[in-house]
Parts: sequence; structure tokens; C-alpha cells
Amino acid sequence: MMNISEKAKKTIDSCRFCWMCRHVCPIGNATGQERNTARARALGSSLVARGAEEIKVIAANVYECALCGACTNNCVTGWDPKTFIIEERREIILENAAPEYIKALLKKYFETGNIYGKKADGIPETAYGGGEEILFVAGTDAVVNAPENAVNALALIKKAGERVSFIKNQDSGAALYFLTGKTRETEEAAKRFAEDIKGYKKIVFYDPTDLALVSHEYKEWGIEISGNAVSFNEYLLYLTESGKLKPKKSGKRYSLQDNYAYARDLDDAETGRKLIEKVGENKDMLLCGKEANFAGSLIMNEYMPEVMKKVAENRWRDAINSDCETLVTESPSEYVMLKKTEPEGKRVITVEEMLAENL
Amino acid sequence: MNDFLFTQVLTELEDAVGRENCSTSEIDKVTHSVDYFWLSRMWADRGRRMPEADFVVSPKDARETSKVMKIANYYKIPVTTWGGGGGTQGGAIPVAGGILLDTKRMCEIYEINEEGMYIECGAGAIYKHVEWAANERGYCTMHYPSSLTCSTVGGFLAHRGIGVVSTKYGKIDDMVLKMEVVLPNGDIIETSPAPKHAAGPDLNQIFIGSEGTLGVITKAQMRIYDQPETRRFRGFLFKDLSSAFKASREILQKFKPSVMRLYDEAETASLIKKIVGVERKGAFMNVAYEGVKELVDVEEKILLSTFKKYGAEDLGSEYGEKWWKEKITFFYPGHMMDLPQMFGTMDTIAPYDKIEKIYRAMKEAIETNFPQAKFIAHFSHWYEWGCMVYDRFIIDGKDVPEDPREAMRLHNAIWNLGVRTAIANGGVVNDHHGVGIKLGRLMKEQYGPAMQVFEGIKKSLDPNGIMNPFKLGL
Repeated sequence: MMNISEKAKKTIDSCRFCWMCRHVCPIGNATGQERNTARARALGSSLVARGAEEIKVIAANVYECALCGACTNNCVTGWDPKTFIIEERREIILENAAPEYIKALLKKYFETGNIYGKKADGIPETAYGGGEEILFVAGTDAVVNAPENAVNALALIKKAGERVSFIKNQDSGAALYFLTGKTRETEEAAKRFAEDIKGYKKIVFYDPTDLALVSHEYKEWGIEISGNAVSFNEYLLYLTESGKLKPKKSGKRYSLQDNYAYARDLDDAETGRKLIEKVGENKDMLLCGKEANFAGSLIMNEYMPEVMKKVAENRWRDAINSDCETLVTESPSEYVMLKKTEPEGKRVITVEEMLAENL
Repeated sequence: MNDFLFTQVLTELEDAVGRENCSTSEIDKVTHSVDYFWLSRMWADRGRRMPEADFVVSPKDARETSKVMKIANYYKIPVTTWGGGGGTQGGAIPVAGGILLDTKRMCEIYEINEEGMYIECGAGAIYKHVEWAANERGYCTMHYPSSLTCSTVGGFLAHRGIGVVSTKYGKIDDMVLKMEVVLPNGDIIETSPAPKHAAGPDLNQIFIGSEGTLGVITKAQMRIYDQPETRRFRGFLFKDLSSAFKASREILQKFKPSVMRLYDEAETASLIKKIVGVERKGAFMNVAYEGVKELVDVEEKILLSTFKKYGAEDLGSEYGEKWWKEKITFFYPGHMMDLPQMFGTMDTIAPYDKIEKIYRAMKEAIETNFPQAKFIAHFSHWYEWGCMVYDRFIIDGKDVPEDPREAMRLHNAIWNLGVRTAIANGGVVNDHHGVGIKLGRLMKEQYGPAMQVFEGIKKSLDPNGIMNPFKLGL
């Protein structure tokens, strides 16, 4: 039996016999496996809830969800399969039923400070410029896996004449939340982070996943943020509209790779498009905005790299079918996954690279 | 099967499809044991385990499928094919255990042929993905069932599916040009290069509707269409079903609307009121007509004048447009019937001289013998010669036996009575959901000695009887 909320139980009982969202799951589309559907996850969960199955049976499958919310967005009646997935992750951890590869990631987290077990020293503190009012949070994924992106972002901020501050703690708790749900350790990480970012007027989040966590879960957990939390996209838009950055119209065609956290969790599919329109023409893929079908999770890439590669290749296929040449990413993890799988004749760039090449 | 032989078969299957695509894990077996069949859902709802496969394999193409079939045929292991698992007749449930062959890795869109107006794709492609591929080039598939987003090309072909614009564009069997099929002995065959010919019986039509009992469909060429210049809707209210049938039969002799949905008084007062908002007594009908604008203008005039003759009240376009927007909403949790209710759709089809009689006989039979059941119906796939009735029974959860065996007994008794009444009055076992295990026993009652034709084909292609046992009455 699982100790999950009534809301999660109700969601399970609605989703277990509903087939309607399977076409939008980026993981299911990549694997072709029945278990990678909201229905199958809910069916397995309902059997556990009814005592007909043990939690360890569903554990690996529960970790095959990217929590991208494509299914949630697709549901006409408003059910959110993420609700029970994230609660089940907590239960799986508490029951010590997690797959060994998940345990290994957690071990690395507690030993090194990040689940990748890598050093987080790719961004020199001097890149920040030392401002006192604005904090720039690159986030763990960027610091560990794409520091050059964050360095480029900071260079662009400097060009705009802004100075932003640095803090050592870049961990919002997002990775722990992804792997363990709302555990004591996740809340402690969130509280530490909230404490460390205190005192700044504005906090610019480079990684949309961090901003989504701070905007939603922190509030739910009663953890307050003292400053104004904004996305990096919003900050860039402010820099361009205030004239601090003056990109030129080049007439180039770009296609926004809508990040799911921006488009769905934060309900902002527009700012990225506005930035593209500052420099060129936006050419959307068929599946874009809230319907964007991609989840480039670097965490999942640690334990199911072949699947994540296929997920990225599928997104490139979408781009090719929609005749898109240059994808503009809004998140470090999606950039890394798409860069790894970049087909010949196509390119992926970050939103800051796009602005920089048109200054 | 003993552990030694089981492991031997497992390693052979792993060799055929790759270890990562061959599973014996509990989660894979469980999730392939319950499809959209009410009995399987009820069984799981009560915390019971449905029959499960021993092996779940996911081949990527015909070649790998062929290898699986050769192994299964040699060891005489049952093979049940699973597409999206969205079938209502239990056709995809591995009731005899053995190998569950999931087709969803065969999802490649191989070609979008704009000259030939078809898409060639793997049979495991979800139809909505085929629709997206068509949309990206400015076309569409015109196959829009409620299960569009969850069912596969092969699944629709295997049970003769149909979509909401079928009256103009046809059923799935009208939309396929050519197929690739793997036979039970592992041979890979292709049907004829074009669907209309005089080169003997139609191979396509032998495998379409065969529900995985004769082979595995692995690839298909499906038709694509130009997007219609315009699609218009018109809602009508008829005072009764009889006048609506007469009006519709007459309109079908003149032109083919895309959508024609006529709701009986009970469904008008329930689902249509709830979702579309029509709060009137009578039989609501929604009609869509589409294509080139000049032609649609003419069709609209013909439609309005013809329906007026039969006393239909013109409700304008608002309800129809709302229905189109909400056409899939009907099937989401909270809108659709769901457990603990017991429910089922006994769709049947007949010529115009019989269809109303069938509807009334089924309604009377169900309501008289099972007073706890509510009976609602609509008529939604129309031809020049007749139409389909989509009649449903619904029983409140409080009237459904708690004991799952008793629930099954009641369920099957209702189905026996309903379908036998349809057959006795000139209807067919099923229109577009298929037969599966749910209705297999009634196939012989439908076909009589004609059943030996199906049995002969089955025996010839599948002498070991490994393909989807206990389905289709074969």
C-alpha cells in the first residue's frame, strides 16, 4: 500500500483506464513501450494501491517519466499524472525500492553536491561582474553540464552593462525533487537555497526547471523567496526593450524549442518568441508552445541515455518535418541533448547565442 | 512450460528483437493484460489480475516480427498482437498467455507520397502521429475516431475501425492501399499494389478485421486527402427518428456529408444536453459537409431543402461546431461512462429497411429484460443503402454485482441478448469495434455455415492455432 494523497489516488483511478494522452508522451513515443504511458503507469499504481502488486514492480517505470507535463496539458478533464508519479517516487525511496541506478545518483548527490558526481567549477566567478541587486542563478545542470552556455549568457549581460551577483549554492533542490519527490532532504535543499538567495531585488533563473520549482513547489511548501524571480528570457526581453541590448534585425529564420517548464508550468510560450522577433522571423514547428513534444532531461540521460537520445532525435525529426533549420533552446538540458544529436545541415543555439549573433 | 524451456525460448526471442525489446517483467505483463474491454477493466478495478503474457516482445519491423513468428510457430506458443490496447472487445488481451507482440516500435513514417496521396508507415504508428505527418505537408488523413490519439494504424485495420467523417471518406478499409503482413509461419507478404483490381479476391480485406488471428500487419499505405477548403456544420431537431431516417436516406442519394450523427431521444436528453447544450425534446442530428466551397454551397442548399421536407427544425451551426470541438471530450474520464458503472456499445449495421426495426427491437429487449439498464443510441456512419446504430447500455454501479464472476455473468447475458436481437432482425455482430473475445461465440450464430470459410483460411495459414487464440470465434 502507498501513502499517497487523495488527489493522487483520484488521479490514478481516472488515468488507469484512459488512453487519450499516449500520443504526446515524448518517452513513450521514443520507446514504443506500453508501460511508458500515463494509463499504464496509473494501472500499475492502481494495482499497488489495491494490494494486488508490490511497489517495487512499478519502481523502474515510475522513473521513466520526465515529468514534462505533456499528458497533463493534453487532458481535457484536467487530470495531472505528474501528481501521483512524484508522490510515488517519494514512497519508492522511503520503501527503499528504488532501482540501483537511482540510488547511485542519490549517493553522488550527497557525496558531491550534484547527481552527476562532477565538479561544478566551469563558470569563473569573474564572469558575473559582481552586481549587488541582481542575482543570476545558472542552476546545477548548466554549471555542471553546460558551463559554456552560462558563460555566454553572462557575457551578454555584461554587454548590456549589467552586473549580476554570484552565489556558490546553485542547487534549488530540483534534482532531488525529481528523484525523490517532496522528502525532508528536498525541503532542506530548498530552504538552504531560499536562504542563500535572500537579499537580492531580482533573481534571474537561467534554468526554467529551477524557476518552475521556486514558483510552484516552494509556495506549496511555504518557502518564501524575498526577491523578484524572473526567467532568463524575461530578463533578456527587459534588456532589449530597455535598449541596454540592441540586437539588429537580420531576417534570419529561427524556431523556438519551447521548453516544457516555460510553456506549460510557467505558462510562458511568448517571451521566447518575442526575443526571436527582435532579430528575425519565428518559424514554429507543428508541435510547439504548450504542445511542444520534448523532454531533454539530463537527469534521465544519466540512467536511460539511449532513450533520451531517441527523444532528442524525435524532436529533430519534428523540426525537419516542419522545415525548421535553427532551433533556439531555452534550457541548458535541452540544448545539451539537442546538440548531441544535431543532424547535418541543422543547428541548435541558445537564446543568448541567437541575440549575440545579431548584435 | 518448464524453467529450462522457458529460458530457451526467452533467449531466442531476445536474439530476434534485442534483449531490451523482450521483457518478462511484471510491469510489462500487467500493463498488457488490461485493454479497453469492460470486463478486463472491471477485473482490475476489483484488484484482480487479468491473464498475462509470458513474454512481451516489441519487434521493430517485419523482419524481426518474422523471427518471432518462427519461434512461436516452432514451439507452438500463442501470439497476441497489441497495438494501442484501446480496443473494447478484449481482442488484445493475451488470454492464453504466451507471447504478447506489441507493435508500437513499428512506428516509422516511411514515406509521404504526395503524388500517390498516401503515407506509408509502420503498423504500430499511432494514427494521430500519421495525421501530424500529413498535416505537416498540408494534408490530412480523414480518419478521426475518438481513439485517434491512442490507437495504432494496425489496430484500426485489425478490427475495421471507423472515424467520425466516414460518411464522406469511408472506413479504415476504404483508406488503405496496400499492406505488409507477417504470416504465422514467418513469411512476409505484401498485398496487391493497388486496392482495386480483378486479380482474385482482395488480400487486404482478408487481413483487415482478422484481429491478429491470421498474421501480423506490419506496414500499411494509408490514404491522405487535401484539407477541405471549408467544413460547415448544421444542427437539426427531428420530432422523431423515423422522419430523420427518411430525410437522411434521401440526402445520401444526392451527396455525401462528412459527419451525420443522429441521436435518439434518450441520448439527446443525456449526453448531447450535457456536452453540446441542446435542451430540447426530439432527435438531435448534427451534419457536416465539406470540401470545395462552391460545391459545399450547393450541398448546403440541398441539405436544408431536403431536411425541411421532413419537418426538421434548423438549429444553425453553433451546436455542430461545439460538437466538433468537443467530439473527443465525450471519452474522457468524467464525461464517458466509467466504472463502477457497467456499460457497452452494441454497434450494428443494416440497410435502411431494417435499421430502425433493429434499434427498436434491441431497445425493447434490453429495457424489458434488464430494467436496471439505461439504453441510449445514435446513428453515426451512413451509406446510400443504410447506416450504423451505436446503441449503448448503461447500468449504475449500485446495480452491478460486487462479485466479479456475477458481474461477468450479467455483462455477457446482456450482450448475448442485444447482439442476438440485432442478428435476428437483420443486423451484424458488430460495425466497427470488432469481435475479440467478447463476441467470438456469436460469430457462428451470425455466419452459420459461412463460418467455415473463415475457419478454412485460419486452418491453412495458422495450422498450429497460435494466433490470438479465442478471438473472433476462431
